[in-house]
Amino acid sequence: MSEAVPRPEAENPDDGEVLHYPRDGGNDGPIVVANEFVDVVVRKVQTRNGVRLEIFSPKHNTCVRFDAVALDCLSYQEPEFITSLLARSPAP
Amino acid sequence: MATDSAGTRTEAGLEGIRDGIAQGRFPAHVFNDREIFDTEQRRVFSKAWCFLAHESEIPNRGDYVTRYIADNNLIVARAESGEIHASLNMCRHRGNMMCKSEMGNASHFRCSYHGWVYKNSGELVGVPYMKEGYGGRIDKRDWGLVKVRTDTYAGLVFGTLDPDAPTLEEYLGGFQFYLDLYLKQGSSGSEVHGPPDHWVTETDWKIAAENFSGDGYHTPVAHQFGFNLGYFASSGSTHSQGWAASIPGKGHGIGLGHTPGFPPFAGFPEELAEEMRSSLSPEQVEVFSQTRTAVGTVFPNLSFLMQPFSIVPGEAGVRFVTMRLYHPIGPGRTEMYSWCLVPKDASDEYKQEAYRAYTLAFAQAGTFEQDDLENWARVTRSAGSTMARNIEFPYVMGMDSTPDPDFPGPGHVVTPYVNDSNFRNLWSRWSEYMTGRV
Repeated sequence: MSEAVPRPEAENPDDGEVLHYPRDGGNDGPIVVANEFVDVVVRKVQTRNGVRLEIFSPKHNTCVRFDAVALDCLSYQEPEFITSLLARSPAP
Repeated sequence: MATDSAGTRTEAGLEGIRDGIAQGRFPAHVFNDREIFDTEQRRVFSKAWCFLAHESEIPNRGDYVTRYIADNNLIVARAESGEIHASLNMCRHRGNMMCKSEMGNASHFRCSYHGWVYKNSGELVGVPYMKEGYGGRIDKRDWGLVKVRTDTYAGLVFGTLDPDAPTLEEYLGGFQFYLDLYLKQGSSGSEVHGPPDHWVTETDWKIAAENFSGDGYHTPVAHQFGFNLGYFASSGSTHSQGWAASIPGKGHGIGLGHTPGFPPFAGFPEELAEEMRSSLSPEQVEVFSQTRTAVGTVFPNLSFLMQPFSIVPGEAGVRFVTMRLYHPIGPGRTEMYSWCLVPKDASDEYKQEAYRAYTLAFAQAGTFEQDDLENWARVTRSAGSTMARNIEFPYVMGMDSTPDPDFPGPGHVVTPYVNDSNFRNLWSRWSEYMTGRV
């Protein structure tokens, strides 16, 4: 497996784009999940035909949008799977 | 004597201290002395089983707290597998502190300097620019966080830096019988009620450890307001009653104060007392049901106290438990950690009441705590003075006591409660470590 992982550019905000989220997330978010190492902002994003969950990293200015199938797939991954992702890309 | 002609502590000086304890004497200077402190770091805290955390502080996967053994900052974390690991809080790359927060939740720790990433169990998993920078010259398996040996008893997580230390069970040596009063309140055991109160104080850890290994003698004096105002269910005329129990050769000791006519398990909610009658052994029930105050120390620096304390003076007392760790940070300086332990199964109302009683008496600004620290800080200051270098204290109370043959608990158990027996055992064990016998 390659050590270098390309940024998911199709999902990234444009350079200079500032993402604004309402302070009161309501049912759609955003939810801030943070610990002393990093913080991310999670919200639901409506598309014309469905919904995705967006995970935005203010630190890296990256984001991904997962649909239900992708999230379902994540739900049965072992913690080692995340470890392997961090092994490939531990820091920007 | 503890000093040679040059005023320097020597091995012979430490041997002299050890001999003095057997004769009921202990020198003042040990309570505020740079060389004693440095020797303790190497010979006591680097060898003994030291308390790290209560399991209920890290109940979920990824939970961690940072604690110390000697001057080593450790991460105590519950891994994704559910196991508890203790690791030196120091990146193996250039030594940066991994976790700056004292508590948190993380599946992985990422160094803020060069970005090395470790699993919360301590294994190195991520190295930035691994291929470009290291070209295969680093094997991640060789560079995990430095592990510390751990073991648990009834929710207490201990660690030791000594790979050759005996098992924790052997180290506790039967003191578990008494610890159960604090740790097995009710059939589901005890849990911490929030994070610890945590502060730095100008006292030596040994003064606190000794006091909590069963100093019933100071209570009617230092805490006299507690008697006089009706916060505390004892009186000067009966306060000497009870037992001093210690585990010979291990250093652990507990004072068990008894008040005549005190109802069995007074201060506990009735349903909790019923649970304890069935979940504890008959011998433990016999001892604990008639115990008003239980104040004990696990060698070297972990202590507990349980007693009923009236939130409103004159009203019935509420049982609370404080668990405290006296972490030495310098000669005569201690980082205090104080938790409130509550029965896991108890009602929220009782937990809140117990926490209020604890806060009133023994949290950082607690009344009993203030009484003690006021005295301990002055003892510490005196102990560091030049004239104190050759002064000794008497530890002769109860030297002629014979063990109570009818007492159902283990160890060396004597009456009355007011006794130096536990302290001689504590300092005897300390001197075994200090002279390199352990």
